[in-house]
Parts: sequence; C-alpha cells; structure tokens
Amino acid sequence: MFAQRIGIYVALAIALYVLVPFAFAGNLYLMSMIIASLTIGGIALAWALLGNLGGLVSFGHAAFFGVGSYASALLVMKAGWPIGASLLAGGVCAALAAILMLPALRLRGPYFALAVLAYAHIFRIIATEWKGLTNGAGGIGNIPRFPVVFGYDFASKTGAYWIVLSLVLAFALIYWRIRDSHAGLALRAMHDSEDATRAVGVNSVLLKALMLFLSAFMTGVMGAFNAHYINFLEPDYAFSGLWTMLPIVAAIFGGYRTVLGPLIGAVVVYLADQLVFKALMPIGHQIVLGALLGTIILFAPEGMLSVFAKRPWRPDRTRVTTGLRDA
Amino acid sequence: MLELANIGVRFGGLQAIDDVSLSVAAGEIVGLVGPNGAGKTTMFNVISGTVRPQSGSLRFDGHDIAPLPAYTRARRGIGRTFQIPQPMHSLTVTENLTVAQRYGTGRVDARALAEILDLVQLTDHASRDAATELSLTELKALEMAKALATKPRILLLDEVLAGLEANGKRTFTQLLADIHRRYGLAILIIEHDIETISTLCPRVAVLNFGRLIADGTPDIVFSQPDVVASYTGMVAHA
Repeated sequence: MFAQRIGIYVALAIALYVLVPFAFAGNLYLMSMIIASLTIGGIALAWALLGNLGGLVSFGHAAFFGVGSYASALLVMKAGWPIGASLLAGGVCAALAAILMLPALRLRGPYFALAVLAYAHIFRIIATEWKGLTNGAGGIGNIPRFPVVFGYDFASKTGAYWIVLSLVLAFALIYWRIRDSHAGLALRAMHDSEDATRAVGVNSVLLKALMLFLSAFMTGVMGAFNAHYINFLEPDYAFSGLWTMLPIVAAIFGGYRTVLGPLIGAVVVYLADQLVFKALMPIGHQIVLGALLGTIILFAPEGMLSVFAKRPWRPDRTRVTTGLRDA
Repeated sequence: MLELANIGVRFGGLQAIDDVSLSVAAGEIVGLVGPNGAGKTTMFNVISGTVRPQSGSLRFDGHDIAPLPAYTRARRGIGRTFQIPQPMHSLTVTENLTVAQRYGTGRVDARALAEILDLVQLTDHASRDAATELSLTELKALEMAKALATKPRILLLDEVLAGLEANGKRTFTQLLADIHRRYGLAILIIEHDIETISTLCPRVAVLNFGRLIADGTPDIVFSQPDVVASYTGMVAHA
C-alpha cells in the first residue's frame, strides 16, 4: 500500500516535470500563470505550517517574501553571490527577520495576527526608506536571471517552472514530514488547547518559534526565486499584501491540514482568478474569490479536497459503548 | 515530595491564595476541598506552573521549582487534569496520549499507552474516535489518561468527579484507587463530594477565601466548626 502510494507520487511528479512543459511551453502567458500559482502554492505551504497546523494565523508573510526577495537580489548584485546560494540566503534572512516577530508568539488568535501584520509593515517601510541599500520606491532593476546550466537556460519559462516546481515539491515533503511527526501532532494539539499541551510537557513557545522560522525561511526562498524570475523589485510589489492574502485563501480553500491542499488550492484559485474571473470581470474580480472562500468555509470548512475525499460508500463509524459511557 | 510554603497569589485586588503551606508525601492521597472561589484551582495552577505566586516557596523532590515553566514541571513528574476537560479535540484518543507521553517522558511506549487506555476503559475508542465524540465521563477518563501518559509522580486531579452520576462517581472512585495502587503515585484531588473524599483520602486539606483552615484526617477535619461554616455559610459557634 505504502509502495503503491509512493509509486503514484513519483508518477505524478514525473508528469508535472515533463507533461506540463510539453503541453504548455508554447503558451508563455499560461506558463507565467502556472509559475505564479506555484509561487503562491509554496508560500501557502509555508503559511499552512503555522496557520493550518499550529493555528497561528499570520497576516505577515508578505514581510518574509519581501525580505527574501531583497536579500537574494542584493547579495547577487552587490556581493557577487551565485544565485543558488542567494536563494537559500534569502530564506535565512527571512528567518532572521522572523526573530523580530518572536514577542508576538505570546499572543493568541486575532492579537497574534494583528501584531504580525504590524511587524510586516515595518519591513515595507524599511525597504522604502533605506534608499542607499534598496533604492527606495524606485526599486531595483536588472536583477540577474537564473543561469544557464549544462547548456540549459533556467531563465526560460520552462526552466523557471522546473525550479519553482522543485522548491514547491521540497516544501510539500517538509510539510508532510512535519505534519506526520510528533512535532506536528503537538502543533495540532497546541491549536486545540495550548494550556493542556503545556501541561503534558510541550514547550509550546519553542515549537511555535521553530515553525515561525521554518515558515519564514520557506517564504523567503519563494521571494528570492521570484526576484530572479521577474528581475525587478520595488517595495510595494515585494511586500504587497497579496503575498499574504492569496496564500491564506489557497491554504484554506485547498484543504485543512492536507499536504496537497495548499498547493492545489493555490493553482486552482490563482488560475481561476486570472484566467476565468478576470476575463469575465476585469475590475473587482477578486470579489469572486472572496465569495468562493466564504462558500468553502461555510459548506466545506476542511477545504476543497475534503469534498472529494469523502467516500459516501464508507460505513458510518459505529460507536462502541464502554462501561464508562454507561456509568 | 511536594512542599508549598507560605504561598501567596494576588489577582489585582483579590487575594486568591493567602499564606498557604501544604505538603504531599510520595504515594499519599490528599483531598483539597473548600467552597467555590476558595482558591483550590489556583493552588493547582501554582503547582503546575500556570500561575506564578507573588510570595512563598515551591519545592518538588527537594528542588525549587518556582522558576520552572509549566512544561518543565510536567516533565519532572507533575501531572494534572483540568476542571473543564481540555482534550486536543482534533486528535484521536491515542494521539492525545501519544503527545502527552512523547513530550512528558521523552519517548513513546505503545505498551504503556495500551495499558493506560485499558485502565481508563478507552481502548475501544483508541483510534476511531476524536476527542469531541466522547461523552463527559469519557472526556474525564481521557484527561486522566493524558496525565498518566506523562508518567507523573504526583497527579493533580481537578474535580474529575464533577458532573457525573452516582454510578459514574463510584466507577471513577474505584478507578482512582486502582491508579494509586498500580502506579504508587501521590494524588492531590479537588472534590466537592465529601463522601467520596472521605472514602478515598486519608488526609484532607480545606481552603476558604484563599486560606488553609484545616488539614488532617477526614473525620476530624469535617467535624471542625469553621470547616462546616465555610460550607454552610453559617457562623461557627465553638
């Protein structure tokens, strides 16, 4: 069973690496949409580590994305780093930026969300005002593209697709391993009752901090990828609230605590928005996304995948009565 | 084993615990009683690390545990239940216990978990039922099972019998006696049911308005006029 499942995943991965470029490489616009949706999918997976597993709703992931973008671009342009190393460094810088958010971990629910939102805004102001480093609102142009490796140009649409797909699959693997680990179990437990979790020996603050760092790192790497993919950065774009809002919608829409949910959610939501809703409603098309999200939360709170995962032919759970229940 | 000396806790203008000293020896069962608002749960919160006292000292196995956070105290052997059961409701019963055992003891021992499940009669619900699907009695059993999974040396039980019918109380009282016999751990139990406390506990401590007003055997304690007065609200006449 396990081997069969692994076989399916491997076949799926090969199909993603080969069939998608084969089918759509000629349509550069569509490839751009797919790459953008996967970028959001990567952030959605990072967000889901905190939001879906730990119940920490962060409105601040745009900060990690922006810090990763700027860090990678500046390291390559000003310090001459190779892009591969700067992608990781972008993630590390985003994780370091998350240190400033540690005090917010003492807060819960909407207070945590609002505190992180405020922190995120600080980074946007820094990027705008620190003109000597970031060129302020003028932004940074001509950011080096992905290199040619073994004769293949990774700056091409297909090359960028392979890079972002690899990152996203690596993130999905990380998410899967954590979700199914004891740490994942403790995160879910913490989401239900933090007091009760501490009472059984879980260092909840440390666990939340580690997840925040990892989530920030993953988001920073996606930001770094995006900087070298689009070759241009400016604060309003790099720290845009869309880098927070879209992944949240994707993570909730796709599936609560499923591995592929945030990813599939991102692809479906972004492509539907850009290719369908935008065509039907050029101005204000995001309202459809809002309505869709509201519908999902009302009628399928565990996400879109849960609707397909339900098996009506499966017999109902039969409760077995214990002596305690009777007592 | 557990020694509290001159503990004081103040919430704003309210003195919740006022200069309370109490000790529990290894393997001892002590009942902690008192009217609502007497400070019993606050005492548990002080011992388990949820509330920091403003004064007094707190020692466990001879070590000062006052500076330790709640999770470290749990790992040192202080297990507790909550008055209102706090299951990790999106986890199965087994997962609830696995988290408790993994983080409370540092490892997962499936045999020990099975033994605990069997003891609290939740084996049939182990993998199939999420905690939200349990009855109140089963939730209380799960609370105890979680605490036991951390391999405590003292168990703080906060009104585990509250809300149960007579049969449930008898079943639980027997269960507590079984747990005490099997694991040989100390138990500090908050309970309003005087009959149950008298049956289960060779020693009872009484709190009223945050002060310890009595500490001794049930027959002596429950015949003290100030203890009777604290429950009935009547002025004691010596």
